[in-house]
Amino acid sequence: MMESLYIAWKYLLFYRWRSATLMAAITLIAVLPLALQLLLNESERQLLSRAASTPLMLGAKGSSLDLVLNSLYFDDEVPELISMQADEAVIDTGLAAPIPIYARFQARGFPIVGTTLDYFDFRKLQVAQGRPMAMLGESVIGSAVAQQLGLAPGDSLLSSPETLFDLAGVYPLKMKVVGVLAPSHSADDQAVFVDIKSAWVVQGLLHGHQDVTQIQDPSLVMGRSDGNVVATAKLVQFTEITAANVDTFHLHGDPSIYPLTALIVLPHDAKSAALLRGRYLESPSYQIVRPEEVVDGLLQNIFRIKRVLDGVILIVASATVLVILLVFALSLRLRQREINTIFKLGCSRLTISRLIGAEIGMIVIVSSLLCTVVLTVVDAQSAEIVRRMIL
Amino acid sequence: MNYRLHTAVLLVVLCLGSFSLVAGEKLQVFSVNYPLHYFAQRIGGAHIEAHFPAPAAVDPAFWTPDIKTVGDYQRADLILLNGANYSKWVAKVSLPRLRTVDTSRGFRDQLMKGAATPTHSHGSTGEHAHQRAAFTTWLDPRLAAQQAKAIHEALSRRRPDLRQTFLDNYTKLQAELLELDKAIEQIIAKRPHQPFLASHPVYQYFIRRYNLNLQSVLWEPDADPSEADWRALQKLTSEHPARWMIWEATPKQDTVQQLRLLAVNSVVFNPCANRPEQGDYMTVMADNLLNLETAFPAFGIN
Repeated sequence: MMESLYIAWKYLLFYRWRSATLMAAITLIAVLPLALQLLLNESERQLLSRAASTPLMLGAKGSSLDLVLNSLYFDDEVPELISMQADEAVIDTGLAAPIPIYARFQARGFPIVGTTLDYFDFRKLQVAQGRPMAMLGESVIGSAVAQQLGLAPGDSLLSSPETLFDLAGVYPLKMKVVGVLAPSHSADDQAVFVDIKSAWVVQGLLHGHQDVTQIQDPSLVMGRSDGNVVATAKLVQFTEITAANVDTFHLHGDPSIYPLTALIVLPHDAKSAALLRGRYLESPSYQIVRPEEVVDGLLQNIFRIKRVLDGVILIVASATVLVILLVFALSLRLRQREINTIFKLGCSRLTISRLIGAEIGMIVIVSSLLCTVVLTVVDAQSAEIVRRMIL
Repeated sequence: MNYRLHTAVLLVVLCLGSFSLVAGEKLQVFSVNYPLHYFAQRIGGAHIEAHFPAPAAVDPAFWTPDIKTVGDYQRADLILLNGANYSKWVAKVSLPRLRTVDTSRGFRDQLMKGAATPTHSHGSTGEHAHQRAAFTTWLDPRLAAQQAKAIHEALSRRRPDLRQTFLDNYTKLQAELLELDKAIEQIIAKRPHQPFLASHPVYQYFIRRYNLNLQSVLWEPDADPSEADWRALQKLTSEHPARWMIWEATPKQDTVQQLRLLAVNSVVFNPCANRPEQGDYMTVMADNLLNLETAFPAFGIN
């Protein structure tokens, strides 16, 4: 047996390029569907685990997928906005506790997520460096943001304008980085967290400027009447919140109409969840969804696509196997003289079969080993690959 | 599917740390003013550690904590807010909302507007900045009892095993507050429509509860009123012939003397927003009651 293996090994080495091509073809055809399955399993796990740990989500009527993807993974597609009235309404039901999310703006390509500190408790996010945001204008960044932008506590980050041509828009806010989150291998690693009020500062709804009741420059005041001072657009608003100017920051209008993209709703128990869902069933303005159901729906679509891919891979695999069989058949035909010589030297047909079987076996074994190595690497990196390429 | 929801809810509850407190572990309760701190102490008793970090000499409504103190608030199991825009700093910091209780939320439709302040808008169509609400809600003892109820409910949610203890303590406190309310009502009922002055516009809820005929000025007990202040007072008393001025704290003797020359007596009704030098909230209110009793018969004679 050892002699057969030795001769087969020498044969494969002699025809190393042909052997390598065969091995690569077999490895690839085995790796492709298995790696795809691994990545899909991981993406399903990541998508579902984040969705399943979020009991309910409330947002404006419209695309539930946009709502969930924006609020769970901070997707660029911003859903229709709701207001703080929705938050108050949920509290008033006494059935659940809401966590507001305002994921609309960006800072150097990363989403700014306006929320409350409860979000960190809810997602079990730990501050690895620095501290949680405390004052208006402070931010806590995800580990990937810190790594990619080279930021650490004490640095600053500017919010980006919503559009390049927003000349009359609000000034970018210089946000102080006060903390960096420990990696959570989720969308939170890629986000810039600020207090919900700071998100309104980014939008310009909450702002600070010099006291208009004290200013003397007539070009800054359009008019004074009935205890109200009307300021002109020349009045410069602060673009950085410091201890010296924080007291000048104020809201205009009714705070209950201030915008949010969604509410993470934490019902007190299953009954409260059911009651709450019932209450919003006929709502003309709001929808309340179970993110797990929405993500399930999304995954069903992904799996439908996967089934098509599986079909394609099956056809390609069949073609490849046929080609490999053809290669072996042609190879045997080309080696007919060589086989006859071996036979004439006194080898039995069984020995010849063993020689050829050893060659094929070696090709398959090496391909399997290669396949195992590739799949192990994919499996180890699947969380990162999915986070970077899919979510 | 249903068990998944259960699991999710359980996870959420665990995340929020609701059940992380094992029996015997004291709840860390932070308040923004002394009345809430006192109510929490009374209701929570030995089962909580109540904290009120504002220094003694400041008005907690206008105090701003440093970053370290904000961090202490953030780590608390329960943060008791007065609501009604009390403590301006709350709007400028990040607090965990699910561990924060707005004790006046239950009667937010009854909140009153504070003194008129100049507003502003940006451009001709911009909205005005908001007027501050009146915030000394606890000066209406019935509202104070509602705030105490909110504290009792919040503590009970955190420690359901101690619900009955908290309820008993709250019931006792509520009875005392309602007794205080009745006592004030009886005193004021002697001369309900007589004009009064207040040194500061902080008695809005007190005025509304007892239907007092009271006008406020803006005088500080530890500062001498200016000439303009005296002139304004004379003008005010000509239209509003008050014979008593209610002060938040004991005024300067010179001011008292000068007021007497205008036939205006001084009486202290301490809102007790900060920790008293001696006694506690109820003893301060008992002193306030005595002061009112002194004022009303004397006023009746006048």
